[in-house]
This record gives sequence, structure tokens and C-alpha cells, in this order.
Amino acid sequence: MTKNESWKIGLLFSKTGVTSIIEQSQINGALLAIDQINAKGGVRGLPLEAVSYDPGSVVSRYGELAERLIVENKVSVIFGCYMSSSRKEVLPVVERRNALFFYPTLYEGFEYSPNVIYGGACPNQNSVPLAKYLTSAFGQRIFFVGSNYIYPYESNRVMRNVLRQAGGEVVGERYFDLTTCAEGFTDVIKEIMKVRPAAIFSTIVGQSCIEFYRAYHAAGGDGRVCPIASLTTNEGEIEAIGAEAAVGHITAAPYFRSISSIANRRFLKAYEQQFGSIIDVTSCCEATYSQVHLFAAALEETGEMDTDTLREALLGKAYDAPQGQIKIDPDNNHTYLQSRIATVNEDGEFVIDLKVRRAIKPDPYLVYPAIHDWSFRTQKVTAGGGDHA
Amino acid sequence: MHELIRDLRDQNVLLVHPRDRSADEFLQQVKRIGCSFEHTWPVPSTLPNKFDIVFVDVTDQSASALKIFMGKREKPITSIGILGYENPSVLEMTFEIGAHAVLMKPVRAAGVLSSMLMARRFHSEQLRFGKELTKLREKLDNVQKVNDAKFILMRHRGITEREAYELIRKQAMSKRTTTTEIAHSVINAESILSNMGDS
Repeated sequence: MTKNESWKIGLLFSKTGVTSIIEQSQINGALLAIDQINAKGGVRGLPLEAVSYDPGSVVSRYGELAERLIVENKVSVIFGCYMSSSRKEVLPVVERRNALFFYPTLYEGFEYSPNVIYGGACPNQNSVPLAKYLTSAFGQRIFFVGSNYIYPYESNRVMRNVLRQAGGEVVGERYFDLTTCAEGFTDVIKEIMKVRPAAIFSTIVGQSCIEFYRAYHAAGGDGRVCPIASLTTNEGEIEAIGAEAAVGHITAAPYFRSISSIANRRFLKAYEQQFGSIIDVTSCCEATYSQVHLFAAALEETGEMDTDTLREALLGKAYDAPQGQIKIDPDNNHTYLQSRIATVNEDGEFVIDLKVRRAIKPDPYLVYPAIHDWSFRTQKVTAGGGDHA
Repeated sequence: MHELIRDLRDQNVLLVHPRDRSADEFLQQVKRIGCSFEHTWPVPSTLPNKFDIVFVDVTDQSASALKIFMGKREKPITSIGILGYENPSVLEMTFEIGAHAVLMKPVRAAGVLSSMLMARRFHSEQLRFGKELTKLREKLDNVQKVNDAKFILMRHRGITEREAYELIRKQAMSKRTTTTEIAHSVINAESILSNMGDS
């Protein structure tokens, strides 16, 4: 390996295609962390060097490019992927080649691979708090819309169950292709207007997410009356949707740009210095940033890129992330994360309403989350935010 | 949601396997899935009733020893064979011990959950089909008895089939018993009477 010049790491995020908005923010998160680490002298005196490929949001390209990173570029540590379907392409490659793969995205759970470090939320960390919030603040009748792939199905299954425990009811459920445009949503929005649910739970991702929010607004939908609640719609997408159409809608995530804490302010300042603006900072961006830092800390300890050695160093490692402290759970390679619920205000910024008291342990194999679990108890976040908002 | 998937975490799992890397991978995955579990090796002589599922390494084992180990229970257990080799003699043995699913070595995390569920489903259907078959056999037997009794009555009394059945039914009602019981008595009486004529 090129051990004496730099530590090579692979980046596998799309700069083009339907999921490029969010994946570009993940690239930025990784690059920022790499630059910060290098500015402090790198790891054991050597800089980190990113090797990046663009899969163009085409699922099969992720697997091919992961193979290329490992075989041609001699990279054994890869950060990448947004959609579950793309992760499933990379998984057999990194297992066969015994590489280490960091996945900085929320997903539906029910997976474990010794070669993967999962940095995003699984359903027990975000669905349960959101369901509680929706049913108590808006009402019992929820309409489901989602993109047509595995994450929305499984995410909706969990949501349906948690809602039922809270006395809620699913009054409609529709799935759409990832490339659906505004016109494609006309019928379902008519149906929503007719059914008049208390809230809409959306697992529509990528470009079509923006189209859906806009179409809902164009048809007279108002987030302050009947919000679209999501686990995936983030700052980047709200920016594209526009404040007028986005106001009132709700997202549950471990991180929001508007968190008022020293760690987050420091993160945002550095991000702005590097990229000129903080407009596309999202929870997935923050997760990627934090995972690169976790990796660098582990590498500092091991001094070698060997997958098994690095994994041992990573499991149980904690990091003071912009969202608050996170920790890799040695039981399942997932991450203890914060959980927050935020509403978009008139200026198109997320305002955090609630947060859990402490990082939630990931439970990727939880079939039936219990809504009354004490660990999901939230506290109100005051207008001032405070240090721990 | 199917109850077998819903009740996953209520399952008590026993692993019978040498304590090696496959066993570690397996036990960690069972812990992630959220079942309670225990490990034992070598193959013990009895299988405690508290376990719902047993994963057993069949490599270099004798089918008879495994059958004795799993057979000594009031309640049949869901069993999954862990195979080191995929050859006909090993597969034959998994058939012989009645395994409900298999898992290949080296054991990886992926696949444990599915094999558990498939085995539970296969086993619970096996039990259900067995129960239903017994019930159907009994029912068929009863129908046959009532038929025989009807023909006896028709012959003796010169009545129609419908009348014969009504007679049996009324008797059953007044004696607060089943039509099968009455049919049984009729058949018995007939056989006693005809035997008397012979002697």
C-alpha cells in the first residue's frame, strides 16, 4: 500500500442523478473532516487522501465502483451510499474483499455485517419519537406515502405498528417510483385532500421528495394544518422545496443544522469556510463527517489499515459530534445517536421542538418497537435552544 | 405481521456447537436479534424443556446420538442443523434427525434470522398438519360408524336412510351423547345379537 505517502480512503457518493442533493452533502461532510484532520497533521504524520467516484445514482454502479476502489485504487476503507439498494450492492464486495465500509445514512435496520459501520439512525432511534409526536400533536389518522423500495416499506411497517400502539390509524398508503414528477402526485394529493388525515408520513426520497412537497403546496396543502412528517427530508431538500411550500412540515433526525451547541457552531463555521455556505448541511452530511473523525481516531490508534484491527479499535469508540456525543455500539456496529423532532419555520429553517434526553442505543433487529419505552421520552426544547438543543 | 416474526424475541435458543468462530458469530447475531440463548458442547444427554429452538452442529456426529438427544422431550423442538459439508451423507443425516432448516459453516450473521423463521414456520405447520390429520382420521372413522349403524337400522326396521339417521340423532340427543356413541352401541348390539343366533 501507499502507506508511506498517505492514507487512502474511498468515497462512493453520487454527484449526479436522483439522490445527488443529499449525497453531495455527504461528500462535503467527508471532505471537511478529511481537511480538518490533515490540517492538524493527518494521522500519525500522514495525510488522509480521498479517492472519489460518482455512481450517478445508478444502483448497480455502486457495487462496480466499490470493486474498482478496492482492486485498482488499493483502498480498503470506503465511505458511501445513501439508498439501501445501493448499500446492498456494496455489501458483498466489501465482505468478499474484507474491506471496511462506513454507511452514514439512516436505514430500515435488520442488517449486520462485520465489514460495515452504520452511522445513521435505525427505526427505533427516529420512528418511535416521531409517531409519538404526530399522534399527540396532530391526531390519530395518518396517511402514508413512500418511494417504491425497501426503506419505505420497512419504515412504514414500523411506523404502522408504533402508530397502532398510540391509538393511531393509517388511512392510506401509496408508493411511487423514484423518478415521479409533480404530475405523478396529482391523484394521491387529491385523495389526501378528500381523506383529510391529521398528518402525512412521507418516505419519499430524492428529487421526487421535492416534487411531492411542492405539489402538495400547489394543491392547497398547508404544513401548519396537516404537515408532511418525514425521517429523510432534510435541510438540502427544504432549501430546494422553498420556505413557502415547506413551512410547517416536520422531520425527525439525530441532527439539524439549527442545533445550538458549541460543537455544532464550530462545525458549521468550518463548513462555511470550506464550501462558502451551510445551505446543504444535513443529518447525513453530519453523520459522514462524524464517521470520518471516528475512523481517523481509530487509525491513530492502530496505525494500520487492516480491517480487523480497525474494527476492533472502532467498536465502542465515542465522538463529540455536532449532534452531541455518539458512540459505536460494539454489539451491532450501529451507532448510539441523538433523536430530535423539528418543524420548518417561515424562513425555511428547522426549529427543534423536542429531543430525547440521551443518545438512544441502536436496535437494528427490533421487530416491534414499544412506544412507551422510557428511552424515547423527549423533552421540550426552549426557544433559546440552550447548549444541548 | 405473522406471529412467528412478531414473537421472535420470546424464543429461547440453544446452540450445540464447539466454541469456535462460527459459534461466536452465531451467538452474537442471536443476541442482536434479541432472543435469549445458551451454548453447550459436547452434545448433552438431555434437552431441557425451556428451549424453543435448537441449532446443532451435525458435523462428525452420529444421527442416533442426536436423535436420542432431541427425542427425549415432551414437546417437540424446532431444530436447525449446522453443516460443515454439503455432501449427501451429511444431508441425509439432517433428514434423519428431522431438522427443519440448515445453516452452512462458516456461520455468518446474515441468514441466521431467516433460518430461524423458516424452521419455526415449517415445524409449526408440520405440527398443525399432524393434528389436523388425526382429527380428520377420527372424523372419517366416526362417519363410517354412523353409516354402518344406519344400514343396520334400515335392514332391521325397513326404514329409509334419512329415517335411520334421525333415529340415531334423536337417541343421541335424549341420552346426551354423540351420534358416534349411539352408532357404536347399535353396531355392538347387532354383533352380539347375530352372534347369539349363531350359537
